[in-house]
Amino acid sequence: MKVLFRKPRSRARPCTPADLRAAEPFVQLDGAVKHAVETGRNRVVIAAAVFGLCFLALAGRLADLMLFRGGIESSPTRTAGLSAAVEQLPAVKRAPIVDRNGVLLAVNLRSVALAADPRKLMDPREAATKLARLFPELNRARLEEELRSDKGFVYVRRNLAPAEQQAVNRLGIPGLSFHPEEKRVYPQGSLAVHAVGYTDIDGKGIAGAEQALDQRLRDPARMQEPVRLSIDIRVQHALRDEIAQAMKTYSAIGGAGIVLDVRTGEVAALVSLPDFEPLERGTAPADSRFNRMTLGVYEMGSTFKTFALAMALDAGTVGLNGGYDASHPIKISRFTISDDHPKNRWLSTAEIYQYSSNIGAAKMAVDVGPAGQRAFMDRMGMLRRAAIELPEIGAPLYPRRWGTIETMTIAYGHGISVSPLQTASGIAAVVNGGLLMPATLLRREAGEPVPVQRVLKPRTSDIMRRLMRLVVAEGTGTRADAQGYMVGGKTGTAEKAGAGGYKRKSLLTSFVSAFPMHDPRYVVIAILDEPKGTKETHGFATAGWNAAPTVGKIIPRIAPILGVVPVASDAPGVREALMLPPPVPASQERKVASF
Amino acid sequence: MLRVALGSRVDLSFIRKLGEMNFGLLLLLCMIAGIGCAVLYSAAGGSFDPWADRHALRFLVGLGLATAVAMIDLRTWLRWAYPIYALGFALLVLVPILGVVGMGARRWIDLGPITIQPSEIMKIGLILALARFFHGRALDEIWKIRWLMIPIAMIVLPVGLVMKQPDLGTAMLLMAGGGIVFLLSGVKLWKFAVAIVGAAAVVPVAWGLMHDYQRQRVLTFLDPDADPLGAGYHILQSKIALGSGGILGKGFLQGTQSHLNFLPEKQTDFAFTSWAEETGLLGALVLLGLFLLLFAYGHAISLRSRSQFGRILAGGINGLIFLYVFINTAMVTGLVPVVGVPMPLISYGGTAMLTLMFGIGLMMSVWIHRDVTIPRHAGGLGG
Repeated sequence: MKVLFRKPRSRARPCTPADLRAAEPFVQLDGAVKHAVETGRNRVVIAAAVFGLCFLALAGRLADLMLFRGGIESSPTRTAGLSAAVEQLPAVKRAPIVDRNGVLLAVNLRSVALAADPRKLMDPREAATKLARLFPELNRARLEEELRSDKGFVYVRRNLAPAEQQAVNRLGIPGLSFHPEEKRVYPQGSLAVHAVGYTDIDGKGIAGAEQALDQRLRDPARMQEPVRLSIDIRVQHALRDEIAQAMKTYSAIGGAGIVLDVRTGEVAALVSLPDFEPLERGTAPADSRFNRMTLGVYEMGSTFKTFALAMALDAGTVGLNGGYDASHPIKISRFTISDDHPKNRWLSTAEIYQYSSNIGAAKMAVDVGPAGQRAFMDRMGMLRRAAIELPEIGAPLYPRRWGTIETMTIAYGHGISVSPLQTASGIAAVVNGGLLMPATLLRREAGEPVPVQRVLKPRTSDIMRRLMRLVVAEGTGTRADAQGYMVGGKTGTAEKAGAGGYKRKSLLTSFVSAFPMHDPRYVVIAILDEPKGTKETHGFATAGWNAAPTVGKIIPRIAPILGVVPVASDAPGVREALMLPPPVPASQERKVASF
Repeated sequence: MLRVALGSRVDLSFIRKLGEMNFGLLLLLCMIAGIGCAVLYSAAGGSFDPWADRHALRFLVGLGLATAVAMIDLRTWLRWAYPIYALGFALLVLVPILGVVGMGARRWIDLGPITIQPSEIMKIGLILALARFFHGRALDEIWKIRWLMIPIAMIVLPVGLVMKQPDLGTAMLLMAGGGIVFLLSGVKLWKFAVAIVGAAAVVPVAWGLMHDYQRQRVLTFLDPDADPLGAGYHILQSKIALGSGGILGKGFLQGTQSHLNFLPEKQTDFAFTSWAEETGLLGALVLLGLFLLLFAYGHAISLRSRSQFGRILAGGINGLIFLYVFINTAMVTGLVPVVGVPMPLISYGGTAMLTLMFGIGLMMSVWIHRDVTIPRHAGGLGG
């Protein structure tokens, strides 16, 4: 003990051992106390030794992990092994589905089905007992009953793995037989389930692309050639992750998102949450099997003002220098149209969009007129089902009698319900120079002609880009401003319709956007179903507080994958492409005219 | 003469106390907290907002708190030891009644403007109270099992309450922290062997009482590859990040695992991984080296203290900080199950920072009052 006390100096410390020794003579100790103090000091030394050993162990572990292990073997080798295995597979009855870069999304694997010929079984009771022990999910009594029947063929179990097949062989029961069959496997699980879909047990597509492309997938001549979707699984992952996190943060009951190439109409990612594992499709709740992005139709709210503005600018009924008086709510028959962010003054065209003025948008639409608006909406594809390789497509809902009131409400996204997918295609046409093209889940090869239809003048599209950028730069969508990606967009907060009118508390918030706005490449839409306010949003649950920041997080994650490079907002070419002339109030305009 | 020499560091003025503070230790703390800010700056993708700036602010507040705590006389802390423990215990009892549920556990009490986590008060309170208890006992008393029952109860009661919350990580910290105080106080070493064997015997019982998520963590620890996308995800991603760091790392702000969101909780429990990925084995060892230096200071302070209370208190606080660092590092490297223990001064989080700086303050108080002798029995305090 004493020896230990004499040399407690293995490590650096502020007081030198000389201090310690100097202190000793002052302490007058009787035997017991001295013993106690020595024990105490020895224990400190023991503790120090233990700490040191523990740290040595940590350092060793770190060196082991960081130098010799190289982490876990990286996943590419595993994937490579998997694709090699798939290539060696013998011919199958259904072509695989891959994403745009060749990552497997669905593939047939060979397996066997176990069947029995009850007439050849010697002891059905024993056979049923042994089989039920091997496959605990089988009901022994019911199996025995089936094996006692006088049928010639009974399925015992489908899709046996090789190890299971061997185990059955070992039972040595005569009268059992194996029949080769195939099992559809989805390596990415729930990640893209709403786009890919799934098959029934006989390999027939019953949802998603699996159903829409069923004939092609079963075409014997093209069995070896995978169907290449436009989905990029990396973008899909980022989009799903962010939408899921937003749902959690804002306690939303559902969410949806899409990333759409504005030049080709290819869908790079499509998410509808909640979703489900394809293997558990039988037990998944109906809500999770519902594709909110394509099958659901919603009143999109203020995001539709984008179309109202594009329509009026294209028709020439208003220009950037024009505007409308939004100082008083509009009273028409028993309705009152007012603004959520009232400015109570004359608003320029840009301000109407920037501050999301219902009054301004309504007046703008009335100048175009009901017939003009209806024709425009038809041209934009809002009055017919979207065309995409999915069976789950919702038909839009719009008024049969399209009068002045309807024109006003449709201008700000009420009284018409469309699927978010339709909205995405429409926004793509607004920003890409005015060309509407059908959205597709199939990858387009470079140079492949895209069926397009001109719906807006290039000049209109150019102005709309600047206006959408304005909303994100200094309007309701500032929280979507992912630095360097020149995001432009529009918020939309719609009250969901329920029994007895609109429900003030249950909202559908959305943010439609495109980036980079000086040369748009992709449309990104995020939708949250019934989000709630949080402490961070000061209790607000409107789109600017939840859907917009979600897009703001999505874009910086997907842009590098999609090859979009960030730029400085004052870079040459960018600034000019996004500048707006300063708003000229009506009074001033008149003065200039009378001058 | 001797009395004067001794007395010179017994009753110091406020100014002299400030001068007596251990500035080497303070510098060390600033260096570690600086690394913490760098990690959080990187975790936010090269931005002070939202973590690094607040982290720095909290550290400064913590420094102020530590200084204030250090200024208070060690004898005062001795007097307050039991009341602080009692307060912590009372609040722990109140948690199930008044507590706020967060992330599946009831750990916080909401007092209007502030929310407190009684288990944090308990970490400091337990060490103070145990130090006080052992201070008043002679060695031959400590060696008797009968006397040991009291401090064992002092540990077991709060540990039980914390487990009910449920917060396995804190319960383990309290238990191990108490164990370190026992070691420092001179409890016979063979008793620790018995306790460890006893604990092993309790494992099957504890298994039955655990929550599903706790069991899941233990199972995942034993075989993280069993569920690579679920419960094993954290550990696997952490190991991949560490492995990809290599000797010199990927460079500051270049960690792909953390920046591409593969690494979960990169600003809290897995901050160390994020640091190690970017600065490599070298950076990781430098950080561990700084902590080792911190513990060397702690041990030195403990050795140098003239009073039993000071020695045990400094050693106990030192042990508590050691446990944080050890468990966190062992957790992210897959040596122990994921229990949610943050890295001191590195991980983002206000409560842990305040607890830690309060403890550092106590350690510094022991240093400033290192020559104060305190009679063994409470009566000798002179009222």
